Amino acid sequence: MEISYEDKKDCKVMTGKMALPNHYFAGRLGSKFIIALRDENKILGVKCEKCDKVFVPPREYCERCMSKLDECWVELSNEGVITNYTVVNYNDKHLPRRAPYILALIKVDGADTPFPHIVEGIDVEDVEVGMKVKAVFAEETTNTIRDLDHFEPV
Amino acid sequence: MAEYFGTAVEDIFNTMEERFLSEGTLDVDVTIGYNISGEGGGNWKVTIKEGTLKVEDVDGEVTDCTAILNANAETFVGVTLGKLDAGEAFSSGNIKVDGDLTVLVAVLPKAFKPFKPVIKASAIVESVEERFRPEKAEGVDIKIGYDLSGDGGGQWTVVVKDQTCTLKEVLDDDCTVIMRMEAQVFVDLNQGKLDGGTAFSSGQVKVDGDIGAAGQSASLFEKYVAEGAAEEEGEELISLKCVPSINQRYATGPTMGKWFDGLKEKKFFASKCPQCGRTLVPPREICAQCRVRCNEFVEIGPDATVTLIDVVYYASPDPLTGKIRETPYTALFMVLDGVSRDESFAHDLNPKDIDRIKPGMKVRPVWAEKRTGSYKDLLYFEIAD
Amino acid sequence: MAKKNRNVGIIGIGQTEYSSHKEHQNQAEMVNEAVRYALEDANITLDDIDCVVHGNMELFEMVFQPDMWHSLGSGAYGKDQFRITTGGTTGASLVCAADNLVASGMYDVVMAIGMEKLQEGHTTGGITNMADPLWFRHLQTGALTATTATMMMEEFGEERAKKAAMKYRILMDKHACLNPRAHRRFGLEYDQADDLMNTSPQLVGELRLIHMCSQSDGACVMILASEKKAKKMCKTPVWIRDHITVHREETFNNFGIEMPEMTHHYAARKLFERNGIKDPVEYFDVFEMYDPSAWWGLDWAREFLLLKDDEHIKLLEDGEFDLDGKLPINPSGGVTASNPIGATAMLRPAEAAMQLRGDAGPQQIKKKVKHALASGFGGTLWSVLMMLEKDLDWQEVENG
Repeated sequence: MEISYEDKKDCKVMTGKMALPNHYFAGRLGSKFIIALRDENKILGVKCEKCDKVFVPPREYCERCMSKLDECWVELSNEGVITNYTVVNYNDKHLPRRAPYILALIKVDGADTPFPHIVEGIDVEDVEVGMKVKAVFAEETTNTIRDLDHFEPV
Repeated sequence: MAEYFGTAVEDIFNTMEERFLSEGTLDVDVTIGYNISGEGGGNWKVTIKEGTLKVEDVDGEVTDCTAILNANAETFVGVTLGKLDAGEAFSSGNIKVDGDLTVLVAVLPKAFKPFKPVIKASAIVESVEERFRPEKAEGVDIKIGYDLSGDGGGQWTVVVKDQTCTLKEVLDDDCTVIMRMEAQVFVDLNQGKLDGGTAFSSGQVKVDGDIGAAGQSASLFEKYVAEGAAEEEGEELISLKCVPSINQRYATGPTMGKWFDGLKEKKFFASKCPQCGRTLVPPREICAQCRVRCNEFVEIGPDATVTLIDVVYYASPDPLTGKIRETPYTALFMVLDGVSRDESFAHDLNPKDIDRIKPGMKVRPVWAEKRTGSYKDLLYFEIAD
Repeated sequence: MAKKNRNVGIIGIGQTEYSSHKEHQNQAEMVNEAVRYALEDANITLDDIDCVVHGNMELFEMVFQPDMWHSLGSGAYGKDQFRITTGGTTGASLVCAADNLVASGMYDVVMAIGMEKLQEGHTTGGITNMADPLWFRHLQTGALTATTATMMMEEFGEERAKKAAMKYRILMDKHACLNPRAHRRFGLEYDQADDLMNTSPQLVGELRLIHMCSQSDGACVMILASEKKAKKMCKTPVWIRDHITVHREETFNNFGIEMPEMTHHYAARKLFERNGIKDPVEYFDVFEMYDPSAWWGLDWAREFLLLKDDEHIKLLEDGEFDLDGKLPINPSGGVTASNPIGATAMLRPAEAAMQLRGDAGPQQIKKKVKHALASGFGGTLWSVLMMLEKDLDWQEVENG
């Protein structure tokens, strides 16, 4: 008996799944950031004095000069500008909203780094770079960045 | 009574009834024995049956239970309070379990609310010197008397003068203020479970002397934190739990596909290396040693000779389903008839044969009635006699 | 043989403490802790690093592409970077790769980072997912198997084998108790052996909980430099003489009536042959072995040291693997004490190098340490074996 590699009749596809219990730790800085969002509706960043840069979300070290930043907290504005965006046009169970919705990079006032979030309260055709937006906080906590529910135009 | 981390062994058993969660144990029928050695130890038997609980303090070592936990008093209290790492105590042999280990893991968490150490009024008063804040006591010169009745009560005088604090185990006559209440009320006040104003207006607390001094005294001391509760009072650290479940597809390719075609017909096929002549089971496309393609297939088995037996007791999640596997199960290593002597094949053993199986035995396959060309077509092997 | 263009020295080593309680750090922060210690140890800054080689084993944490987001902690921003993942062997493969990168002349100074946070995942579940989904996944229980225990009991008798495995385990714990970074330090005594070997919970057959490696969080970092740079930057560089990586097809097909040569044995035979090592027990002063369980540790000592029959058990029984013995094994306490998987195989050359430098700490071997052996292990018998030297004075073997 021989097999022929042109003949695909013996080729099968097995299906299965991978289910693994995971547990992720945010660490001290990450926790402080989320707790401030959750309990005080404040966006916190850290400032590297040497590089004169404010990072949000916070990080323990400046990735450029490696200065330790864990004590260098700054409170940032809940308002900022859209520096870039995309419109999500497909639906998938892991996505936070039904399509279409706007996923934007938002630089809050006082920060040097933008971070991605959802923009609502505006038609997807009307979004543009440079638009002023403000944070809307979630009513129920998930202990994640989604305690900041979305941004909407000022 | 011997205490560890501020808690006695019997506190844990005495609070079982109030911590019991009847609705979580409706389908449970187990007895758990506890042999706790060392000072303050003892023997207890806990029966959980269909939503009911019985805790017995017994004489002598407990036997005949679904599971029996053996530990010394310090380890037992430490693990119960979360002060000692359960996994480490278990790995190092400081906790030993006879019988069905899964009972402790599967039943206990749903049968009981976690044990919280019993806080005694005396412990709160006796820590007053450590909790004293001299910076708040500038110019303060008072004597506070405590007259606490009931279990855990007593009489004390706290003297604050010249920014120092001393505790006396008597009630002085010349106190600035004396507070009288049930010891439990005092504990609840200190734990923030009872509001001071309410306690005073409802008559639960009686104050003799300077009421103002009573109010002032609160700021002179740090809040009391029970030893066992220290961790809860610590900083909040965020963590997230989730079980990502990803659907997967895996292509067999034609070589492994042949093997599954064979299973459907209750046949085993091996591929054979044209160079070294060894058989590969389950078949592989390439002989990794000779680095040549193996296009020839030979029928092998169906009987096999057992080489190694792994009896698995540790219950881990089955990645194909995400469910915890039932144990024990046996991974059987064997050489199918007609294959190279160094080529083993592994599969399940019929659970009824676990006690009898030995290396060197002949085994035969047992097939599923409905076969679709998957590994499930082969149920398991069993002893051929 | 593997020819080096130039010699490579280890100039910096950094390790976090290993534990199962790192809730206060996220992964990048944990990596950074080890990076800092390594830079401090080498007395250099990130500006001196030309390239970063980063690795961990997949499926143990909730996040993927760690090499990218770890750059916050690794300092790889703007530098060449590679990611390597070879299962349990990852840490050793990282050091081999860093060594190759420097020896080739591509980079002068390379930093290798191995990390794992096993508390963030399910170790046994993760490893089970690496088995063949068509045939073995439904049977496998992670890295737990008693096949070696069964074979050793068959060969040496149940009593002697069980006693020896437990003696090995307690010896490892004694070493771990000296090592301030070790995760599990039980304080076991030899008179507990009989009790533990019969009462510790069974995981698979005679593989009991006490025998098995820990599940740890931690990171390990090593900085390697070319001979010229190493001599300039560091007072006590440790030299990587040679290393070998050996793997073979799926091992669960290898428990037949006859056993094929094990990859560990093959690696040792080839490596020692090409370096002219006739008697490894005599030649080496320390062996840091990747020993995922006490049974494997003891059995693999025979394979790696090319011993025959019960020579390895005799060496153990005679105390020759103790810190003051002929060939101390795992002064660090080994893998049963600390096991942050993606870093575990790097802990081996890291500890070996510290032993050669003489600054390993409380677990430092008292007699002179000149030649060290370190091994890595992963997946279905993927073996790495590495030789480290205190001095650059070894003889090259002709046609080796």
